[in-house]
Amino acid sequence: MTSQYNFKKIVIVPTAKDFIDIVLSKTQRKTPTVVHKQYKISRIRQFYMRKVKFSQQTFHDKLSTILTDFPKLDDIHPFYADLMNVLYDKDHYKLALGQINIALHLIDNVSKDYVRLLKYGDSLYRCKQLKKAALGRMATIMKRQAQSLQYLEQVRQHLSRLPSIDPNTRTLLICGFPNVGKSSFINKITRADVEVQPYAFTTKSLFVGHTDHRYLRWQVVDTPGILDHPLEDRNTIEMQAIAALAHLRAAILYVMDISEQCGHTIEQQVALFESIKPLFANKPLLVVLNKTDVIRLEELNPEQKALIQGFINDDIPVMEMSTFSEEGVMNVKTEACERLLSHRIEVKIKSKKVEGILNRLHVALPKPRDGCTRPAFVPEKVIEKRLEKGPKIKKKTERDLEVELEDDYSLDLKKNYDLPADFKYDVIPEFWEGKNIADYIDPDIMAKLEELEREEELRVESGVYEKEEEEMDDEEKEIHRLAGKIREKKAIIAIEGRIGRSGGAPVMPRAGRKRERSVSRLRSEFEELGVDMSNKSGAHFSRTKSRSASRPPIKKARADSAGRVSSSSRVTPRDQSGIRNVELKAKAKKMGHKAQGKMNQFGKAGEADRHIAVKMPRHLYSGKRGIGKTDRR
Amino acid sequence: MRIEKCYFCSSNVWPGHGMVFVRNDCKIFRFCRSKCKNAFKKKKNPRKTKWTKAFRKSAGKDLAIDPSFEFEKRRNVPVKYDRDLWQKSVEAMKKVEIIRCRRQALHINNRHSKSKEVQRRSDNYEVTKNMGLIRSPAAGLKQLATQLDGEKDMSLVSSKFKQMESRVVEEVHDSDREMDVE
Repeated sequence: MTSQYNFKKIVIVPTAKDFIDIVLSKTQRKTPTVVHKQYKISRIRQFYMRKVKFSQQTFHDKLSTILTDFPKLDDIHPFYADLMNVLYDKDHYKLALGQINIALHLIDNVSKDYVRLLKYGDSLYRCKQLKKAALGRMATIMKRQAQSLQYLEQVRQHLSRLPSIDPNTRTLLICGFPNVGKSSFINKITRADVEVQPYAFTTKSLFVGHTDHRYLRWQVVDTPGILDHPLEDRNTIEMQAIAALAHLRAAILYVMDISEQCGHTIEQQVALFESIKPLFANKPLLVVLNKTDVIRLEELNPEQKALIQGFINDDIPVMEMSTFSEEGVMNVKTEACERLLSHRIEVKIKSKKVEGILNRLHVALPKPRDGCTRPAFVPEKVIEKRLEKGPKIKKKTERDLEVELEDDYSLDLKKNYDLPADFKYDVIPEFWEGKNIADYIDPDIMAKLEELEREEELRVESGVYEKEEEEMDDEEKEIHRLAGKIREKKAIIAIEGRIGRSGGAPVMPRAGRKRERSVSRLRSEFEELGVDMSNKSGAHFSRTKSRSASRPPIKKARADSAGRVSSSSRVTPRDQSGIRNVELKAKAKKMGHKAQGKMNQFGKAGEADRHIAVKMPRHLYSGKRGIGKTDRR
Repeated sequence: MRIEKCYFCSSNVWPGHGMVFVRNDCKIFRFCRSKCKNAFKKKKNPRKTKWTKAFRKSAGKDLAIDPSFEFEKRRNVPVKYDRDLWQKSVEAMKKVEIIRCRRQALHINNRHSKSKEVQRRSDNYEVTKNMGLIRSPAAGLKQLATQLDGEKDMSLVSSKFKQMESRVVEEVHDSDREMDVE
């Protein structure tokens, strides 16, 4: 049984143009896009065949989902089938779906044909044309379906907005002339907010509300008003009401307006009733007289009363109500529900399933053992006590106190503390000197403190705390100071040593380090060490000729034995330093020359010959950078 | 309100300060500042981190075991408020604090006193070995030479030498003063 009462899940039907666009763009995205004419022909063929087949598949899938999603009128409940027929025209609907089906098959055929042709395509151009043709044909097929697709989309939209009426559950159906008060009634008993207006045919379609009775959910269906004319003349709106009446197994509430404010007399309403009576077969029926606030049943004239009486004679219950003043509304509802319930139970009993249901129901009643009753037992004393206590004494609450004292009242939370009166309002300190006082609270604290103090006394007595500082005597003091000086000096030497070795800095040639070993420095250092350095004119460390300020220095170009002028740096030149005598000097020179000769002969580049082996190392002149730009090399 | 102890450095965490970390096994770690918290996160051992109280106690630098520590203990048994008890406890607390401070100071002093011996020995070594860095052996020789010019008696000469050596101290004293920045 495929009865979907939720038509909201039907897939959206796109327009023909959109449909084609969707499928073609999907084909473009999901299949490979690159093909060249130098590929193998089999590969080219495969490429284009794939495209054709893919489009066909996509069309097929989408169209078949449409076909399956839309309800088949034969498979759904006759109420919905009838309703859809009324609203959308069964033939048109079936035709549209049929067209879609045809389109589906046509597209499949097209694809089959062109795939067969593609197998014999001999060039890229040929294959491409074939594919274009195939897709084009499929597109035209779809273009022709534009009307059907549009119609189906409208149907889908309308279907999704239909009220979800469950044809199998308990339903109350309200019918009658237009403007009699059907929608007002449903507004009163359910939460449905149906529009109520003075003009006829305010309600143009079926509306559903839900109400509760005896812990069960009941559907209440409001119909558009029905006029009294033959079936063929009825318009779509009325036909909806008729469809509901025909197919839903519900309790019918035929609403009549006895005040004739709807514009139709009671006779006309009764006539309508008679004409649609066949629809009420096998359904519990209730005639409801509405608008009794205007006129009561008793106030009617005898002819009208006779008509109403006719109903009662036919065993059709008649009830009065007024949706305006709300009297009798609930009674109507309960009556209708009860009638429907009993009707449904009857039907169920008559059906075959009743055995199964009855088997599951069992009401257990304990069998009375004997005839004596056993009521609840309350001992006499308790009863007496209860009477004795008298009425419950009300305790005085804070609120009472507040009311009594008015302005003077202040909430004092501490007054009910379980402490002696003067302790209640104590301010308890928490901290002292970074300690929690609460950590020290101990009932035995005094005893422990005594013990501690005793021990402390003992210690003090035994002289533990009298530690005398042994004073150093003068000698020791001196030694300590001297040791300090020595350590200082040691540290200074270490630092100076480290300063000298500043790593990597260019070193001044020996000429620049002149001041390191000077007489003045020697003098000062020895003075520090305590040696008397005055009047050491004849000492070896001093210059034989000391420069004095009275004689200005004579600038003289110093020349060596060969007559070559050298700078007045007085540093031994490199070819003389470390060499004892002239022979050795000559030997050294010879050795130096000899060593160079070999290298020069080979013509190899020496230290002085700057040579760039690789003028353009590849790693610098080529390649992309991993990160960054390459506009500068 | 309670003053808590920082888990890492054991200092006081006042209300409104620091951070609390609750581990999945429901153990609570309180920290006084982010220094301690970050050290904890780096899995540093407080017993090995020199500046913490835990290190000092475990390395014996501070007094660790003493009956005066038993007074400050978090007791989980609530005691009903009794004014006399509280007043007495506050006074007792102050007395205990005095005693505890005294004992801690004693402990530390005892520790420091051992360094005096070491110091003395190292001073002696320095002076005997490296005296030459501050005082040349030639100091005062000239003066002595002028004094002993033409002295025949060798015993006198030797005694004079000895005197000179002993005066090292005073002369050094003077010459040191020259170098001092006034």
